[in-house]
Amino acid sequence: MAEPVVRLKGVVRDFFDGVRTRRVLQQTDLDVFPGEFTVLAGPSGSGKTTLLTIMGLVLAPTLGRVVIAGEDVTGYSEDRLATVRLRKFGFVFQTAALVPALSAMDNVLIATGVQGGRVTPELRKRADTLFEDLGLKEYARLSPAQLSGGEQQRVAIARALISDPSVLLCDEPTSALDVDSSKLVLDTLKRLSRDPKRGVVLVTHDPRVFPYADRLVKIEDGAIAHDTREIGGGDE
Amino acid sequence: MRRHAAVRMLLHDRATTAGSVLGVVAIIFLVGQQLATLSGLVSYMSVLVDRSGADIWITSKDTDNINSAGDLPMKYVDRLLALDDIEWAEPLVLAGGLLKREDGQFQPVRVVGLARPRMAGGPWEFAEGDIGVLLDVDAVTVDRLDLETLGGPEVNDVLEISGVRVRVAGITDGIQGFAGTLVFASEEKAREVGRVSDDRCSNILVTLRPDAKPNHALARIRALLPGAEAYTTAELATNTKLYYLTETGIGFSFGFTTFAGIMVGVVIIVLTMYTTVLNRVRDFAVLRALGARKSDIRLIVLYQALVIGLIGTLIGFFLLAGFLFGTRGSQLPSSMPLWIPPLHALFTLLLCVAGSGLAIRRATRVEPASAFR
Repeated sequence: MAEPVVRLKGVVRDFFDGVRTRRVLQQTDLDVFPGEFTVLAGPSGSGKTTLLTIMGLVLAPTLGRVVIAGEDVTGYSEDRLATVRLRKFGFVFQTAALVPALSAMDNVLIATGVQGGRVTPELRKRADTLFEDLGLKEYARLSPAQLSGGEQQRVAIARALISDPSVLLCDEPTSALDVDSSKLVLDTLKRLSRDPKRGVVLVTHDPRVFPYADRLVKIEDGAIAHDTREIGGGDE
Repeated sequence: MRRHAAVRMLLHDRATTAGSVLGVVAIIFLVGQQLATLSGLVSYMSVLVDRSGADIWITSKDTDNINSAGDLPMKYVDRLLALDDIEWAEPLVLAGGLLKREDGQFQPVRVVGLARPRMAGGPWEFAEGDIGVLLDVDAVTVDRLDLETLGGPEVNDVLEISGVRVRVAGITDGIQGFAGTLVFASEEKAREVGRVSDDRCSNILVTLRPDAKPNHALARIRALLPGAEAYTTAELATNTKLYYLTETGIGFSFGFTTFAGIMVGVVIIVLTMYTTVLNRVRDFAVLRALGARKSDIRLIVLYQALVIGLIGTLIGFFLLAGFLFGTRGSQLPSSMPLWIPPLHALFTLLLCVAGSGLAIRRATRVEPASAFR
């Protein structure tokens, strides 16, 4: 098996709720491999989003180590982690979370230029290709408010892919979508997970998503309860 | 891309952006208008000194401003002329009087008596006539801006000042004094009005020879006239301005109003920019999650503050220019020395940056993890 793109070793996360400290993520080991569609499933409050945000270097673990593509990033400064996020990760949130002031195209390009990087012609060409691949070609200049929920979520996927990330982290990306839009988004993510250089991790509590998974990791009470492969088997 | 995003956000939040711009416009216009008025008043305070053409002014002992009554013996003029550093020395007689208007009402005036034929310290801008009209011993000039106050006299009208008959021989243009309406007259006429005896004068104006060393000459004059004060023109002008600014409350009053203008603008800027950031917390969280560092967010908000500052400054100066143009040549004192606008603009931009501090603090405190909630 290829080297994991994300490796969590003994990761723990505690939260202080103002009265006492609660452990929302028990000691967890998890490897995410490229070319695999990993689904993290569990009920609300089970700790699956916490696990996702620790993987994505958005939240620091209380204990444990995080290794990204062979690089141990535990203890990195906030700025350094932000740079790793920018280069290695793509994020798709529950809602598209596009910046309303920017056009669809600018929302995609900001994901590479947010640290001041120049938007090169190659980058713009890549964005055009992504828009075309995701069926968004004619929406590039529109503002998010002019797009449907499904279209916005596809723009968010384009934004997540613009920097050609090693890991695509998706937090319940279909929870706010209708059935047709959900299927379109999940098909797209499934297709993207076939890239042997990229791992896709999706958090959900919706069992209808499970058939898409190559690997299903069930989280209960902040710990991995089941970790099984070959759930969905081939492509949906 | 960060700058582009910053500008797009400003354009998207038009109402709050307009509010912030309004704050900057308020600072530029209100403070600029106060500074212009103060500058105009300050220029009035020492106008006789500034435009006298003299190098040195002799005043009474313990007199540190031109508008205090001076009383010097005329023999000082002859003593001064004996010094080889001095080109010329001329007496000036300042006298307060009451001008009787055509309708019978009285208007206080300050008569400036000039020694003929040099007319040192005399008027410099004329709407009608020229300084030569004051060679006539009965002649006076009144200013265009004071005509209404003085009952609308015209050239060749005969008036009375403190019971002394004078003839309006010329109209000066925009020569305004701080301590009263200025009327230029011959030395003799001023003596009559102010009951000043022939052996006394208010001040003596001195011009040095081109090759004279001012400090050396000043020291010699001080040694020669221990009963008087000798100042360079610049010194006396500064002393006069400082006297009015510190002793009359004008400085405090204008300082307070200027400060209030600044505070109003700063509060508007701070609140509107903070509101903008509050409305954008989710966007900043997403940007942080995508890989923006705190410094990138800081830069976006800072850039927005600068854009708001620049637009507000441009609009503010446009309005201020309208105000200055509108009050030009009017009785409202206003002047804008060229060094004020760049400093004012720089100061305002710095205020915008400082005003965005609270917004920056809020924006950079946004947790990237909140994008997942």
